[in-house]
Amino acid sequence: MIAAALIHPHGPYIDWAALSPLVALVGGSVVVLMVGLLRSRFARTQVVPFLTLVSLGVTIGFVIWQWHRHVAAISGALAFDQLTGTITLLVAAGGIAATLLSWRGQAPRESAHGDFYSMMLGSITGMVVLVAAQNLVTLFVGLELLSIPLYVLCATEMHRAASLEAGLKYLIVGSVGSATLVYGLALIYGATGSTDFSGIAGSISQGHSSDVLLLTGIALLTVGLAFKASIAPFHQWTPDVYEGAPTPVTAFMAVATKAAAFGVLLRVFDVMLPAEHLNWRPALLVLAAISIVVGNVGALGQSSLKRLLGYSSVAQAGYILAGVAVATTLGARATILYLVVYLLMNIAAFGAIVARERMTPYGDDFDAVAGLGAEDPWLAWPLTIAMLALAGVPATAGFIGKFFLIDALVGAGYTWLAILIVVGSMISLGYYLRVINAVWMRSAPGPSASAAAGVPVIAGGSPEADALGQTHIELRFAAVVFGGATVFFGIVPQPLFDLAQHAANTLSGAL
Amino acid sequence: MTIAWYLAVSALIFAIGVGGVLVRRNPLVVLLCLELMLNAANLALIGFSRMWGNDDGQIFALIVMVVAACEVTVGLGVIVAMHRHRLPIDVDSMRELQG
Amino acid sequence: MLSILIWLPVAAALVGALIPLQRAGGLLALGGALGALGIAIALIAGYSGHGYAHVTDVVWIRSLGIHYALAVDGLNLFLVALTTFSFALAIAAANIRDWPRPRVFYLLFALAESAVLGAFLAQDLALFVAFFDLMLIPFYLLLGVWGGPGRVAATLKLVIYTFVGSLLMLAAAIALAVLTSEHSGQPLSFALTTLAANPLHKGSQEWIFLLFAAAFLVKMPAFPLHGWMPDAYREMPLEVLAVFSGVLSKVGAYGFLAIALPIMPLAAVHFQTLILVLALCSIIYGSAMAFTQTNARLIAGYSSVAQLGFITLGIFAFAPQGAQGAVLQMVNHGLVVAPLFLIIGVLAARAGGSDDIRDMGGIAFRAPVLATFFLIVAFATLAMPGSGNFVGEFLILLGLFKTKMVFSIIAFGGVVMASVYALRLFIRAMHNRVGPKVASGEMSLRNALVLAPFIGAILLFAIYPQLQLHRSESTVTGSIVREQIDTGQNVRVAELTGLPAGWIAYGPNAETTIATGGANK
Repeated sequence: MIAAALIHPHGPYIDWAALSPLVALVGGSVVVLMVGLLRSRFARTQVVPFLTLVSLGVTIGFVIWQWHRHVAAISGALAFDQLTGTITLLVAAGGIAATLLSWRGQAPRESAHGDFYSMMLGSITGMVVLVAAQNLVTLFVGLELLSIPLYVLCATEMHRAASLEAGLKYLIVGSVGSATLVYGLALIYGATGSTDFSGIAGSISQGHSSDVLLLTGIALLTVGLAFKASIAPFHQWTPDVYEGAPTPVTAFMAVATKAAAFGVLLRVFDVMLPAEHLNWRPALLVLAAISIVVGNVGALGQSSLKRLLGYSSVAQAGYILAGVAVATTLGARATILYLVVYLLMNIAAFGAIVARERMTPYGDDFDAVAGLGAEDPWLAWPLTIAMLALAGVPATAGFIGKFFLIDALVGAGYTWLAILIVVGSMISLGYYLRVINAVWMRSAPGPSASAAAGVPVIAGGSPEADALGQTHIELRFAAVVFGGATVFFGIVPQPLFDLAQHAANTLSGAL
Repeated sequence: MTIAWYLAVSALIFAIGVGGVLVRRNPLVVLLCLELMLNAANLALIGFSRMWGNDDGQIFALIVMVVAACEVTVGLGVIVAMHRHRLPIDVDSMRELQG
Repeated sequence: MLSILIWLPVAAALVGALIPLQRAGGLLALGGALGALGIAIALIAGYSGHGYAHVTDVVWIRSLGIHYALAVDGLNLFLVALTTFSFALAIAAANIRDWPRPRVFYLLFALAESAVLGAFLAQDLALFVAFFDLMLIPFYLLLGVWGGPGRVAATLKLVIYTFVGSLLMLAAAIALAVLTSEHSGQPLSFALTTLAANPLHKGSQEWIFLLFAAAFLVKMPAFPLHGWMPDAYREMPLEVLAVFSGVLSKVGAYGFLAIALPIMPLAAVHFQTLILVLALCSIIYGSAMAFTQTNARLIAGYSSVAQLGFITLGIFAFAPQGAQGAVLQMVNHGLVVAPLFLIIGVLAARAGGSDDIRDMGGIAFRAPVLATFFLIVAFATLAMPGSGNFVGEFLILLGLFKTKMVFSIIAFGGVVMASVYALRLFIRAMHNRVGPKVASGEMSLRNALVLAPFIGAILLFAIYPQLQLHRSESTVTGSIVREQIDTGQNVRVAELTGLPAGWIAYGPNAETTIATGGANK
């Protein structure tokens, strides 16, 4: 008996099945890093991204396998439920898209392929932890695990000053956000004596509500998360970093970080702090309104597509935050649905932009897409669809997302915010249509695709591999698939509604 | 001593950190000030941990330290990379990106 | 059946776009449009005159209670026919010319047709809004890519005006459904019948009505929301403009009659005077602008503003005759304005590509067939007695006279002004001195083949407006019945039935008029 006990010591029970998505991600990260050390050029440039894709695919498989289980793993520190599952699917999809976009790009080449993809997987791991977090410590760990690799990823195009500066800027702003968040978490802990979400919720409902310490803590926590989700007025870094970072990384930041940040916002406000909603709801509504206005107005005069999408992401963050702020089941569902839609539209847009960056000497300027409609319909259509969807035109998923959000807002009695979303969409037409105008109604500036000048380094071209006019099959694939999905889910949106309903069920107990 | 004193000191340190991030131009000093902000949080966490008589706050503080170290490492790495490219190490003179 | 009708054009064009033959796109799009026209004619033949027919009702988005619900009723039946008819001929006309990037062109053209048909047939508010917004996209690209030199600015104006209206309508539609569901305690539903059965209280109706009205008035376009119209009309390819002006503007008017009035009767009554004043302003402003312009496209464009003003008057008269006249006039105007633009295209080709009537003129004797067609169209535009438009305008004014006499007296002025600008356009373009660059000649057989069906349809409706009036009567009367009660009218529905019958007597007369018109050459 004793021998048996010694041979099989009773460690804490670990639910490996529930943790399997995380294991796949962490394992993938390590394997990718190792393979990246091989000498063979083929292994580094082709096998590494392939393994990244495999790892993400396995993660998705595990999530689907575990779909109907609701498990609290690691002594209740992480909850693997359908909200976590949904956001994991989203960030994994974002990761797959980002991998495709950077497959033959400049950033991984400069920073060693293994490191680049390994950090991307690490960041995805952080996102999963963040959304699954059930206490303040895991929340913070997840957030940092998400952020720190991203700081590095932003700076990976090391010969380019803008990329390094974007990295440093994001690091400083992001760390300020994290520090503010930690201080907020400390105050919440001080007010309630617990780091556990359920413990905190219990303590608040027992009469600690509206405590000054608690309210300050919530305010600081909100600010910290607002930095991550690029919600105005904490968005100033967004356009700069979006522009400076390598475009695949920008795409990844735009979709995956946003999904994770809003996943945790839902979790924090609707699970941990529902009893306080009278205090935080007005604040979130105002933040949403400010984001919609600031983002849409800011995007109007931009000449860089990435900056434009940066501001547009601020505006979109405002729309999504509105869904969180109403604090109803319908609102939570609308939020999740919009996150899915947002991912589809943005990947389609970024796919086309990355392709043009590599094909033309204009970087991410409007000139890069001018005349695209005549030159390359397989990129022009996804870009057009993405822009129309971001503006919320019917027969695209963007329309459905906005429709559902407005529905949730009106249902909760916030018609004014619904009208503001509509007004914001009108303003947004002013810049989304400029892109479409450039694509279809301008002709290419000069002989673009065959420019003898060659692709400047800023565009991610390198003389050894990236011959001009290369087909970029993986970029096309990403753009067309996600653009097609945008239209498909605009016409057949019921699967998205079902997914959102599943994910929001997790929260419905608290709402 | 009541918890209020610990909190006051922690808040003061946090404020110094925020002020430093906002006004100092050298990224090294900015990183330093970030550390101040995080350590202010640590102080508060440990104080609260003592007040409530549970260990959660102390564990949290340990983890914050680890993460802070990671952040500084990355920050220094980026700064070194910039230095190698002879870019001005001055937050205000980063003209490449407006804002 | 209706799904096939809606999606046939775009499906055919999609096949055409994928076939690697240059001409295949146009021909397949034409085939699809003709197929749709055939279905529409079958619908007319099969419609009994009461209620809904060919109801399609499939749950589209369960979570939001949105249905893919289509049906034909007396109101949309002829508008659908008009749509398929105009699009088929416009696509045929487009086939005469060569276009850059033809496949995309015809695909968008067909998509526009599908969207317009969807908007007319939708019986679910959310579906209507979706189609209403969707139809802008193809027109936006058609104008922006294939338009004239000032197209980019024109596109921007067009899109901003119309999208702003559409988005407001989107918000209004959702608010309407949500509030109705709260009010009545039923699950969320966007079905028009459900919404009409559970009207909101007056305050909510009013602001929602204003948002809807803004969207519809922009689309028509009505004064003072017509700011996008001159630029867009000046730059749009004429074949596209023919359907844009002929069909799209009717969606706005249709929206009032099918959606705004049945669902928000209290608000409609409340804002009756406002809308009537706007409609009168449209008539006067449109007519005045039409006889000061020299660009033939703009003359036709401003005349549309005036005509749509008449239609709005008819709708908001809240009298059965007015509404009947409005529906008839919608079809008539579409039948008149589409060939008008195509004729302008033919004329412009003879005047060195200029749309200016000062550059035209003196063609009538050398191109008698063209002149005849043009004269018929022009007479129909000015609502010459005996034309279908006369019946329509008469019914409108009669309906209005019963409820709002002052407005109808002012509106009579508009009828007179119409004859001035229509004749001015005809005389300046066809007679007068020969323009400096006019290379005169008869139009080609293909052009004639495209125009002839329009002329035939105009004549058909002149002789036999009953074809439509009988079928639309019960639905149209139904859609305004609540306003009548609210305005305190006591109009018996049966009173209406006697009236259109009297017009049959004018049938022969109409023929004589046209015959004389032809002899005038």
